Amino acid sequence: MGAWGYVSLAYGIVCGAILMYWFLLKRRYNAAEAELKRLRSSEAAANHDKS
Amino acid sequence: MGRSTKTVKRRKGILGGLALVAVVAGLCWSLLVAPPDAYQGEVQRIMYLHLPSILTAYLSYFLVFIGSGMYLWKRDNKDDLLAHAAAELGVLFTALTIIEGSIWGKPTWGVWWTWDARLTLTAILLLIYAGYLMLRSSIDDEQRAASAAAILGILGFLDIPLIHMSVYWWRTLHQPPSILRPDKAPWENVHPAMLTALAISFVGFLLLYFYLLSLRYRVGEMRQEIKALRLERGV
Repeated sequence: MGAWGYVSLAYGIVCGAILMYWFLLKRRYNAAEAELKRLRSSEAAANHDKS
Repeated sequence: MGRSTKTVKRRKGILGGLALVAVVAGLCWSLLVAPPDAYQGEVQRIMYLHLPSILTAYLSYFLVFIGSGMYLWKRDNKDDLLAHAAAELGVLFTALTIIEGSIWGKPTWGVWWTWDARLTLTAILLLIYAGYLMLRSSIDDEQRAASAAAILGILGFLDIPLIHMSVYWWRTLHQPPSILRPDKAPWENVHPAMLTALAISFVGFLLLYFYLLSLRYRVGEMRQEIKALRLERGV
């Protein structure tokens, strides 16, 4: 492998790993946000029924 | 969605956008503008990733250290959330540092890996904080998990001065620092175009780090809110 091959490999792995982590983190973020929203709205509905 | 939530989301978006611009600028400068090294040639360009990665990892472990210390002192969950989020990112950036170093090592040293003091201590750092994450997930009681992890988080940080000093204390294959040297300022030791590339790349890594940290911290915060709401409702 030539010098640019090693450089491309290093830059490719770093960009790929960070993009993959960002993508997975965004998925965890969206899932937690949706779950929180669902719980809050069902709580608000329960409070409304009580009143 | 409340107004403050929208503002926080907008701030995160701005930070993410700035991080993207800085990272792309860093990549362009490192690969297209900075000159090749006189001895190592083009392969030295890996330094523009390698150094910012490890400095970002050190910053992350410093936040683990501060967050863990504050948690043990004040018992505030927010400090524990910060330490947990920073540890996860620290592991990511340390793993990347080791991979980049390995790819840089092959054409310059002739090996992908050697049991050099600095490399070994960095691998130990990775194992300590990977252990920190495993420890957290292996204890059910959250308070106990947070306390045990905080102690490990503080002890693990002691490895960083050892890593930094290892090239002075032992005969190592790894070169001594070019930037963080006690005897010379960075601009006396490194070509200005290389230093500029390194500075832009480092700013990009920092902005990206704080963007990811803010997302990861919010994930932890939302999980705690979910748990509290479920407990309240007896789910």
